[in-house]
Order: sequence, then structure tokens, then C-alpha cells
Amino acid sequence: MHLHKFEKIWLVFGIGSLVLFMVILGYGAFWKGTHPQSHGQIIDPNNVEAYDAFKPENLGVNKVDEKRYVINVVASAFNYDLGTDKDGNAVKTIRIPKGSNVLFQVTSPDVVHGFNIAGTNVNMMIEPGYVSKMETVLNNPGEYTIVCNEYCGVGHHLMFGTLEVYE
Amino acid sequence: MVSETNKNLGDKNEPDLRGTFASVMFVLAFIVISWFGVLGIFLSR
Repeated sequence: MHLHKFEKIWLVFGIGSLVLFMVILGYGAFWKGTHPQSHGQIIDPNNVEAYDAFKPENLGVNKVDEKRYVINVVASAFNYDLGTDKDGNAVKTIRIPKGSNVLFQVTSPDVVHGFNIAGTNVNMMIEPGYVSKMETVLNNPGEYTIVCNEYCGVGHHLMFGTLEVYE
Repeated sequence: MVSETNKNLGDKNEPDLRGTFASVMFVLAFIVISWFGVLGIFLSR
């Protein structure tokens, strides 16, 4: 088979990039342990409170250590339950000091929701019956909007919260 | 003399792929630059 010299060059680049992307994918999956956020940890969607993290008193920001936080959220149509403040009002804004290591644990009792903190790498699909977890370090101060980016019903656009990373 | 004629003919039948080659390299550059751009955004956030 005769191939033009240029064809050989771009075939090498094309097949080479396929191989390179497969290697990067394999490196991420097998060495770095990257996987979908709902990693097979199942709970009963009709009774999320049976799971410690989603008991009403554990929702929202939990400080575990200096600069280490766990944020538990129940995402339901059409609200993010971030717990209540000391006056009993629903929390809509969570505040975290800059440079903190934060573990987000989110679940849904009803339908599929999204949990995206716009402008950060936190972006998860929240499926009923699964616990979606993601750990991240919040280094950039600012105010970020938490949005649902999976269409979940008529009130989908009303489903949001705020995360403030302060100095 | 005969072989030289054949060789010249062969060269003339070879399609001119310089433009195609430039386009392919342009697409390659676009993919590589976007890939590293997205990686940069991921790492900086």
C-alpha cells in the first residue's frame, strides 16, 4: 500500500494522541484512583437520616480539625438542605476559610440532582440511593454559587445556595 | 532516459497534500492547546 509522506506523518500524530489519551485515562483511573463521585456507596433514599452524615444535626458545615471541614448536604426538589442556624432558620450560605480541605457528602431522597459549585472543580451528580463524595482544597477566596445542573423538575432554577471562601 | 521519464510521471501523479497537511496540523494544534488550557483551568481552581 502506498501512503503519501504527509499521510504517514498525520497518521502517526493521530494514533499517537489516541494512545496518549488512553495512557492518561489509565493513569488517572488506576494510579490516581479517579472515579465517578457516587462510588457505589448505597443508602436507602427513603430514609437518608439512617446514614449518620445526613441526620438533621449533622447537615451543613462540620469542622473536624483546623482547616478540615466536612459539608453534608441533602439535595431534594428543589432545595439544598445545609442545616439550620442557631435560630432555627435554614442555612443558605456556608462560609469556609481559605485554604481549607473540604469533604462534600451529598445525597438525594427523590430524583437526580446536580451539585456544582460554579467556578471550582466541585461538580457532582447526586443520585437517589447513593452518597456522592468529593474532597477538595478551597484556595481561592470569593463567593461561589452552588447550582443544580441536572434538570430535576419545575423548580430546578430555584435550587441554589452560596459558598463563601474567606481570607 | 526511460526510467527518468517514468520517475517524473510518478511525481506528477502524486497528489499535492501540502494544504491538507497544514489543515491537519492546524487541528492538531487546536486540540493540544485546548487540552492544556482545560488542564490549566482544572489545576488553578
